Formats: sequence, C-alpha cells, structure tokens
Amino acid sequence: MKLMYDLPEVDKAALEAAASGEKTMYVIPFNIVEDKFVNGWTCVTDKRIYCILDGKVLNSFDLAKCTVFSTEVLYGNCAFYAVIDGITTLICRFLSGRNLPRYSVLVQVCESLAEKCRQKENPGEPVVNNEAERFCPTCGRPFIAGSKICPFCRDTKEVYMKLWGLTKGLRLMLFFPLFVSAISLIIQFVLPLIQKIAVNDYLTNESIRPVSSLADPNLRAFVLIFMAIIAIDLVSRILGVLQSRVSAISGNKFTLMMRTLLYEKISTLSISSISRKSTGDLMGRITGDVNVVQAFVTGQLPSIFSQGASFIFALIFLLILNPVMSLFVFVPIPLVVYLVAKFWSIMQNRNVKNWVLAHHVNLFLQDVLNGIRVVKAFGNEEREIATFHKRTDRSAEYSEENAKLFDTVFPILGFAVRLGSYLILFYGNYLLFTGDMNYGDLHQFNSYANIIYGPLLWITFIPRQISAFLTSLGKVLEILEEEPEVSDIGLPIDISIEGDVSIRNVTFGYDSYNPVLEHINFEVKKGEMIGIVGHSGCGKTTLINLLMRLYDVTEGEILIDGVNIKDISQNALRSQIGVVLQETHLFSGSIRDNIKYAKPHATDEEVVNAAKMANAHDFIVNLPEGYNTMVGEKGYSLSGGERQRVAIARALIHDPKILILDEATAALDTETEKLIQDAINKLSKDRTCFAIAHRLSTLRNADRLIVLDKGHLAESGTHQELLDLKGFYWRLVMAQRQDSGMLTQTAAAKEAGDAARKQKVLAKKNG
Amino acid sequence: MANNNTPVKTDKKEEIKKDNQKAEAKTDAKAEKAADDEEIDSEELFKRRVSIDMTTENSWFSASAGGLISLKIINAEGVEEFFERVVLRRSFPVTAPDEFISVREPDTRLKGRGAEIGMIRNINNFDKATVDLLNAELELRYFTPEIKKITSAKEKFGYNYWEAETTAGSVSLVLNNPFGNIRKLEDGRIFISDMDGNCFIIPDPTKLDRQSYKVIEIYI
Repeated sequence: MKLMYDLPEVDKAALEAAASGEKTMYVIPFNIVEDKFVNGWTCVTDKRIYCILDGKVLNSFDLAKCTVFSTEVLYGNCAFYAVIDGITTLICRFLSGRNLPRYSVLVQVCESLAEKCRQKENPGEPVVNNEAERFCPTCGRPFIAGSKICPFCRDTKEVYMKLWGLTKGLRLMLFFPLFVSAISLIIQFVLPLIQKIAVNDYLTNESIRPVSSLADPNLRAFVLIFMAIIAIDLVSRILGVLQSRVSAISGNKFTLMMRTLLYEKISTLSISSISRKSTGDLMGRITGDVNVVQAFVTGQLPSIFSQGASFIFALIFLLILNPVMSLFVFVPIPLVVYLVAKFWSIMQNRNVKNWVLAHHVNLFLQDVLNGIRVVKAFGNEEREIATFHKRTDRSAEYSEENAKLFDTVFPILGFAVRLGSYLILFYGNYLLFTGDMNYGDLHQFNSYANIIYGPLLWITFIPRQISAFLTSLGKVLEILEEEPEVSDIGLPIDISIEGDVSIRNVTFGYDSYNPVLEHINFEVKKGEMIGIVGHSGCGKTTLINLLMRLYDVTEGEILIDGVNIKDISQNALRSQIGVVLQETHLFSGSIRDNIKYAKPHATDEEVVNAAKMANAHDFIVNLPEGYNTMVGEKGYSLSGGERQRVAIARALIHDPKILILDEATAALDTETEKLIQDAINKLSKDRTCFAIAHRLSTLRNADRLIVLDKGHLAESGTHQELLDLKGFYWRLVMAQRQDSGMLTQTAAAKEAGDAARKQKVLAKKNG
Repeated sequence: MANNNTPVKTDKKEEIKKDNQKAEAKTDAKAEKAADDEEIDSEELFKRRVSIDMTTENSWFSASAGGLISLKIINAEGVEEFFERVVLRRSFPVTAPDEFISVREPDTRLKGRGAEIGMIRNINNFDKATVDLLNAELELRYFTPEIKKITSAKEKFGYNYWEAETTAGSVSLVLNNPFGNIRKLEDGRIFISDMDGNCFIIPDPTKLDRQSYKVIEIYI
C-alpha cells in the first residue's frame, strides 16, 4: 500500500517552504474540507504533520505534542484525529474505501514517530506497508475485490484471449457453425441467381415455346434447374440440422465445462472471499451468467461472421446489378435502423424495469413466507396481503403496458422495414414497363435487397448483447481469476496429528490494518480441553478459524505438534480436526449419510458408535426410519438439540485428534445441554478440545480457560484460578449469575475462601 | 481491572497467587462485613451512565479548541460534568435528521464503545448559536452531497462508472451493483452509495435533466 505519494509541483513547493530541513516520511491524500471534495495531502515529516491543499499549508501540527492518533468512520467519509496537548483535534477528513487502510497504518506509524520525537530519537526510515493496493494505478478506480483487475482499464482483447483459452477442446465444434454459415451464405447468393436464370431464360422466354415434347432440351434444362433449386434447399436444411446439433452439443459442453470450472474454483477459494459474495450472487454466476456467455459464444459469435459477410456481399451484388435502384434500398434504411434501435432500447429499459418489479414481488414473497410465523404472531396478515396486492398490481400494470406498447409498435416497425421493398417494387415495375429491366433481374435484385435487411436489423441488437455478454463474462472471469488467499505450500506435509497446539504471538485481522486478534500466545497439551470465553466480537471464532486455517495469520505462527500449519496440507489438517458449529447444517439425505459425511467409507458400526458417543443414538433409533430418516431441506425436521448431536456425531466419526466446538450448545435447553455436555466430556478424553461458549457453565469441565478481550488474551487459567484472580472472567461469571438470578443462592453456598476474595476487592477499592 | 489487557502467562500465575494470599491475610477481619456487601459491590461494577434528556437547562455545547464539540452538563445525579469532546449521532439520519440526536462519548481503541451522555429530542429546541454549531458538526459526520447532474455513465464488465456534478464538486462514482447501490427512499429521494463508501442523495429525481434522469431511471 502506497504511503508516499508524489506531490504535485505547487504542493511540493509549499511543503518545502514550510518544512525546510525536515525529512518527509509519509504523504497520503485527504479528500474533504468542509462540504467540498478536494485533492489535499497529509504530509508527515520527522517533526510535524502538514495538511497541504492547492499549494497552501492549511494546518500543521507539532508531532511531539501529539499523543493518541485515531481514525473514525463517519457516514460517507472518515476523519483522522490526534490528541494535541490533551485536546482531540481534527487533522483531516478523507474518503472511506479509498484511504481508510492508509490512515489506519498512519495512526500506528505516527504514534511511534511522535514518541520518538519526544524522546529526541532518530525517526528511522519510513515504514513500508506490503498490503496490496486496491485501486488501479492508472485510473484510480477500484479493482475487482480480491484481484488486481480494473474493469475500467481492462483490455477487451485480453478478455477475449481469456475466453479463447477457455474454449480449449471445443474449438473444432465452435468452428463448425462458421463453416456451415459460409456454405449457407454461398447458397443464399446462388439461389437468386439460379432463380433468375429460370425466370429469364425459361419462364418469360417466349422464343422457346411451345415445348414440343418431353425430350426438348429446353424443358430438360429447366427440370435440371428446378431440381437444383430443390437440391440446394435440401442441402441447406441438412446443414441447418447439422449445425443445430453441433451447436447444441458444443453449447452444452461449454456450459458444463464453465460450470465445473467455476464450481471447482469457488470450492477452492478461501472462506474470506466466498463470504464477501452472497449465495444468490454465486448461484447467479454459476447458472445465469454462464448461460449468457455460452449463448453468445455458440450462437452470436458465428452470426457476427455470417451476418457481416452477407451484408457485404449483398451490398456488392446490389451495386453491380443496379446502382440507381440500390439507392431506393438505402434511402429508408437509416430511418428504419434508427427507429428499430430506438424501439429496442426503450423496450429493453422497460423490460429491465419490469424484471425489477417482478423481482421485488419475489423478494417480498420470500421475505414474508420465511417470516410467516412472525406475521401471524403479530396478526399482520391483512397488512401483508395489502402490501402484496400493491406490489403485484404495480408489476402487472407495468407488464400490461409493456405488452400493449410492444404489440402496437412492432407491426408499425414491420411496415417501416418493408418500406424499402415497396420502393424497389415500384421503381422496378416502372423499369419493367419501360423495358429497361427484365423480370428475372428484378426478382434477383429483390432477393438481395431482402437479404441486406437481416444484418442491418441484427446490428441494432448486437451492442446490447455484447454488453450483456461482457458483463456476464466479467463476472465469470472475476471468480476464475481470483487467487485463493490460503493455499498449500509447494510440498505440504501430511502429518498424523497428535494434538499439541501452540499459538505463538498470533496477530490477525480480516483486513491487515484492522487487527481482530493481537499478540495471542498460548500452548495446549495433547488431550486438554480449552474453553475460550469473552464478549461477542472479541475474536473467539476468529481464533478457531485460524486454527482450522480458513484464514492465514497476519503475524506469528500456529504450530500443531511443532509443525507450522502452513506447512501441513489443508486436506490433512482439516480431515483430522472435527468441528461442530453453532449453526449446524445438515445436508439433504439420511442421518446415516450426514454422519458419514466426514468419513464416506465408514461402516454402519462406526456410524452407530459415533452416534452413541454423541448421545444421539437413542433419539435416532426412535425415529420411524432410524438412521435412514431423511433430514435436510425436504426431510424430517429435527429439533435444534437433535441436529446438534448429529453434527457432533459427524465430527466424531473420523476420530479427530482436535475437536472444535464453536457455541455448539448455545441455543439448547439445559437438559439437552446436559446430554451434549456428557457427550463432549466423553469426547474430550484423549482429544485436544477447543470449546467456545457464552454460557460459562458449559465450560465447567474445561482444563483451562482462555479469556479474550478486544482481541487480546486477557487471562488464562483454570476456572478456580480465574475466579481467584477477580479479573475479567470473574466479571463475566458475576454478570451471568446476576442474569440468572442465582446470585443469592450461590452466595449462600459459598466456601469460606470466597469471602476473603470479596474482601480483596473491597480492599482494592479502599486503596 | 488493571490486568485487562496484559496477557497472563503461566509464569505470572505464581505472582497472582501470592497476591491473593496477601490480600486474604490482610483482610480476614473484614470478611464478614464484606459478605453482605457482595451484591452492592457487583452492582457497582456493572453501573452504566444514565443518559439525560438534553435541554438548554442542563447542557451547554461549545466549539472545542480542536475544531470539535465540547460539552458541559448537569448529569442525572445533579453533578456538573465536562467533556472535552463529544460525538453526535442521528438516530434517524434518513427520516428525522433533526430529532433524537444521541450525544455520546467518543469510541476509543482502549475503552471500546463510548456511552450515551444524553439525547437531544429536537435540535431546534436549542438556541440559534448551538443549533448552528451542532448542525455544522452533523453535516460533517453525515457527508452526503447532492447529485446535480450525471455527466457520463459507462458500463464495463458489469461495473458502472459515473461522472457526476455534486454540491461538493465533481466526483467519479463506481457502482458494482446498481440495483443494490441505488435506493429509493420512502419520501421519493434517491440514495446512492458507491464502492468507495461515498454516499450521495438526489432530492428529487424528476428535477434532474433528461440525460441524468435516464441513467438512474431503470433502477428506481
């Protein structure tokens, strides 16, 4: 990430004048002053901070007096503050997306710089940040997320080359339509020629009549011509059939290949990039966008060739045949093409809007049907019916209007298109009367004139189709080109995990400038059960994600049995870690299939054993179809606790050495939790187990607790040790006891030691 | 709570234990009294600031030396308090920008979210000078220039690139999903957020020139 921009000349001069003898360390832009966008620069030297705008120094601040620096995300912009002499001071404001990461780094570097200023230490060299830039260096517009591609600057040629690369193995089939259209093109032009001969030399030729017998050479020649016309028609139809068949095959293959490629890619992408996109968006790309690309590649691409060629040929033929009459073709053409293009553009806009309205109805339905319990619970059926009426009415009205418009304008346009033909007919007949043209020539001319309209009208659609195609192609390539953030090293190790885990000085943020976890250190021995507690948003789940290597740590390392997890193959790592998440997803299929998910070749005996360990066996055998009961979207609906236990069985079946329970029991009643607790206790024997829980009672059996607070490791130790400490954990416990109204009870049952501990707090308070 | 942010490693545990023993020895005598105090004690731990209803009687805003807002209040307990810097947040930035202004302590990295000091029911209940001061601060925080004209709109690979004239000067917008980025508000205004996190508003789309209106037409 760039922290040292090149200043424009005037600003540079201003900085040099103001800060002579100071060393410029960082120069980054700021964008807003008062209520206007500006191009200003925040310049940090080894002594002061300068805000420079249009060759003037707006403000400057003495670094030695600055203590705490901070950024704040406002609405539509962000601000950069420093505390100067104890007073929070606004330094500048800037655009969020563009410069927040930069300023977040600046906060850190300025703080150390200010400290050095106070200590009169050498400021050292400017810090270099290696995070990738998210904006195109040429145009300054944002890159596609997770890539270095700027759609604006991207070369269309390069995109077509990429597409060409994707058609590997299908090229022959893609070229077949070109070959066929070349032949049909020739036929298209030969046919009028033969027809002309038939008309001029035989049908209207009075000199060859009467035909005396069947053996007359003229009649035989005519029959031959007649047969040729039939043969040509036949050939072109057969070619048409062939082309359709080949197109169908190549189109299907292309779609299949693109979908598989996309699906493979999405599966290998890291969670971070998948979670940036919604499921609906990803599905849209795999189905909709691939279809658009395929339709264009197998359908429109060959026609660009054939339509273009037939236009040029028809034009040449018309000019050769009769230059004057060609004018009659071309006079109405601009008008017709303009009208058609205009009409389609209006229709297109209206169709998009129609689609949006219909889409809103769908969204509304989805929303309300999903929340139908809430609607009924609040007795709001009437209101929702009214809303639904309003929306469907609007959508229906609009589509009715569209249909009316289309049905009125389309026939009129059709007439306009024919206008040229009427003119030709008129002038041609005039020439026939004067004897300047014969009937066959007129027929031939008319045929070519009809041909030329095809490509012309086609051209009015094509820009839209190209734009839709490029949009879809862009979306498809966006995924195909994304680099997975987490990837295996060259020769990953397949180790068999024992269960020792050490987290060493781990710092991590989903964006490197905004750390979620900072300097986390702890060691876990094989077979220990570790509870992770803390307020929501303190980084518990993040820590678990790092352990599974769904993300890579920014700093520090995570070792399993002394091996850095980056060196272990992702496959080996995850196949030996069992995970139960708060939201258990069971796939459509039987319970047996779901339990076997983690180990596809497991025997039924193993399935039953895993279920028994998870305390799930009893409820499963009581289901009518036992282990074969279908669950998931369309199946039997299990209760939360039952699903949870199936998920635990699934995590257990491959006998993982490390087990992770992320809020696995959060939503359950105490009795079910007890069952699952017992299950967990059984499990955690000779397994390293990490458990996250809000309900602290869930963790009462943990060997050790790790308490996280705002990304830091606040405390660690056993339940008792942490209570004795009277620190963060103790507060959490107290809060939960208060919540559950158990305070008085527990207080009564206190041991003598507890009283003394309370005393300590009191002593602290009294000084 | 001094230990909050310092990682406690295994070697430190010894110390803590010693600490506890000392405390126990020192305070044994008071043990009994403390048992009764437990409830009050922990209640005090979870005490939150009581948000006041801000009026000209109990709140005095002023511009701080750092270009921000300072505040003096008489708090719920009748005690005078001074804040070097407060942060204003609109509860309903879209539907009621002048009402329910939450006045808060700033969020900090160490303490986390700042607490609400008080709520201004309606900003216009204050005197003119204060209203101007508060409005100036609110307009900085809620920076939404009005779009006056869209001078160019291009689409490339599904991304929409606009050039627009706004009340804050000319800008380039990049929309990656116009159907999501452009929102029609209940009162007919159009709200646009771009990939950079900028927010724009079009107060009345029908008053735009034809060219600009055509760009946004299909999205609204």
